[in-house]
Amino acid sequence: MGRHRSSISDVRRIGSGTLALLLCGALVACRGGDAETDASGLKTDVGVTSEPCPEAVDKNKGCIYLGIISDLTEGPFRALAVPITDAQKAFWKRVNTAGGIGDHEVDVTRYIRDNKYNPQTHNQVYQEIKPNVLALAQTLGSPTTAAILADMKASNVVAAPAAWTSAYAFEDVIVESGANYCLESMNALDYAREAYGVKSVLAVHLAGDYGDDAAAGAKLAAQSLGLTFNAVKTDSGADKQAGAIGAILSGRPDLVILTMGPADAAAIVGQAAARGFTGRFIGTSPTWNPALLQSAAAPALLARYEQTAPWDSWGTDTPGHQALRAALGGVTPNEGYTSGWVWSYPMKAALTKAVAGGDLTRAGLVAAVKSLTSVDYEGMLPAGAGNYAAGPNEGAVRVTAVYRPDRAAPTGTKQVRPLFTGPTAKAYTLDGPCYAKL
Amino acid sequence: MTEFLESVLRGLGTGSVYALLALGFVIIYKATRVISFAQPAFMLAGAVLVTYLVGPVGFWLAVLIAALLTAGLALGVERVAVRPMVGRPAFVVAIITLGVDVAVRVVVNGFIGLDVRHVGDPWGLRTVAIPGTGIDLQQRHLGAFLTTAVLIAALFAFFRFTRMGLAMRAAAYDQEAALAQGVSVGAVFALAWGLAGGLAAVAGTFAAAGASVDAGLWLIALTALPVIILGGLDSLPGAVVGGLAVGTIQELAASYQQHAPWLGGNVSVITPYVLMLLVLLVRPYGLFGTREVERV
Repeated sequence: MGRHRSSISDVRRIGSGTLALLLCGALVACRGGDAETDASGLKTDVGVTSEPCPEAVDKNKGCIYLGIISDLTEGPFRALAVPITDAQKAFWKRVNTAGGIGDHEVDVTRYIRDNKYNPQTHNQVYQEIKPNVLALAQTLGSPTTAAILADMKASNVVAAPAAWTSAYAFEDVIVESGANYCLESMNALDYAREAYGVKSVLAVHLAGDYGDDAAAGAKLAAQSLGLTFNAVKTDSGADKQAGAIGAILSGRPDLVILTMGPADAAAIVGQAAARGFTGRFIGTSPTWNPALLQSAAAPALLARYEQTAPWDSWGTDTPGHQALRAALGGVTPNEGYTSGWVWSYPMKAALTKAVAGGDLTRAGLVAAVKSLTSVDYEGMLPAGAGNYAAGPNEGAVRVTAVYRPDRAAPTGTKQVRPLFTGPTAKAYTLDGPCYAKL
Repeated sequence: MTEFLESVLRGLGTGSVYALLALGFVIIYKATRVISFAQPAFMLAGAVLVTYLVGPVGFWLAVLIAALLTAGLALGVERVAVRPMVGRPAFVVAIITLGVDVAVRVVVNGFIGLDVRHVGDPWGLRTVAIPGTGIDLQQRHLGAFLTTAVLIAALFAFFRFTRMGLAMRAAAYDQEAALAQGVSVGAVFALAWGLAGGLAAVAGTFAAAGASVDAGLWLIALTALPVIILGGLDSLPGAVVGGLAVGTIQELAASYQQHAPWLGGNVSVITPYVLMLLVLLVRPYGLFGTREVERV
């Protein structure tokens, strides 16, 4: 009997312990969920503290925590992702050194997580850091960001994406920069038609809204320009490109638009050229890595490959580029640094506007983003860029630059066409994500 | 016809890499009755070693040293992680090799760094014309095929004509009987792992020839799994024939997939598995595998 009573009491103890744990968990989950107003009248909720940042420049200022979810170890874009992340750390350090955002500095170092370019991992680490951050200074990848987008919208978590899919123009919680893959491909076709007189196009692309978006842009442009168009999906991995190479060699298009990782692109360009393909290749910006100039595909890349980009490269002389180079010191030049730096400007503008409006809650930050009419990119993008208030079509940035491989250039590429908006991209009405039209 | 023959030749080149990988799997399986999932990591380690050694010592010496070092690594893994598990269920040891694979790859990835690396092979993407046929053959595929042929000949000679080779065949047939006859089964285990590691290093190097080494290179080794099931898990000739067959079918599928667009854009990726399923339907022990008979 005593044993029975003891067992009942054990069960009760375990039950009440479990209940207490659940309550604690609920409290932790809701931590920061209630808005507070500080002495200066600034309303805050999640990810903003009155205590200084771990690496504060001014210990009297509070801290705004931003998360970073990137491809830092073994995914296909790590060669870009690591410098993107380093550039963002340098960007926010510069902001903090210049006085921060109102009475707060910004920390992007405490909540950095690796997504391995895997949507499930991306969502998992997002859930880990979400209770502690106001917004995301970086969410890398289109398919990975898609895995958390619904939650971001439900929780008012604003994010600067490290990706360019056209769907972001339709999301209030995303502060995208530069032309999306769709408009970039349209500009690529306008350029290739003018420069090489191409009449047929094949888009070789990864599945998902990175590859599909660029392929859709190429398809829409080809229809508009009266070019023959075909598309073939491929998979990530240099050993998985045999099908794409076969499609190129059997179709013999004048132009191949590539949207994939650098090793995949090199395998396709190198092996297609080795088997007699004489057409041109244009890759979207993530297809390039300077190390490819040391590969067996280098002669083919130098002869047949060009790369489009949504902004000017590392060595350009705008105030923003100069600040980037000064902040990063003697690093080996890499366009990942340029991209990470550019992507940070709209988040800075949104935080500044939210603080000025007295509402630095998550909802306040979303409202600030929706009312932004311009972002000061310090010359890295044309004036007028960053007009999120104008809506997807009017606010879309449509400029693209074209580069070609060059061993002498700091990042292995040299500009052949400065930032321009082609007639196709200019005339296109962005009325929905392009990839839906592929 | 030219396109068909060029596809077959490319397939034999790719298939040579699969054959080397599959041989490693089969050698370990025959010696220890365990499928080693650490082969992908040894393959990656070997290729990365070559990228570091090729500058100072040249390509061929780099391949030789990398194969020896990777064999040493495999020996170490066998001694530290696998030997203590002798007598435990094969499934448990297989799971340990999975852990070894992940651990070794994490370390090796650190040596790859952010950018892709190159094995510095002498062929690149250059081709050689076969006189009078109009057929162009990539030199790297020819290099892979000839190197694999030499290694296979050496391996078969080793198993056929040396005392250790005989001991390995005896241990593969019946470990207890071999032990009773004075064969050092421990040495057989160690040598099997060492051989498999060395073969994986050579396979990794040829997989990266004309391309590049990145953290995803190990995935090629997974194609060796349908190869060994197809050829027969305990058959060395099966591994060779299976590897060459899978490589050839893959290339033919890639070359002619445009005639069946309803199959999707990259059907060659799944052809090894389709081929494996088809063979298993008619020969459940693979093309050359030993049929097991159990009394009930």
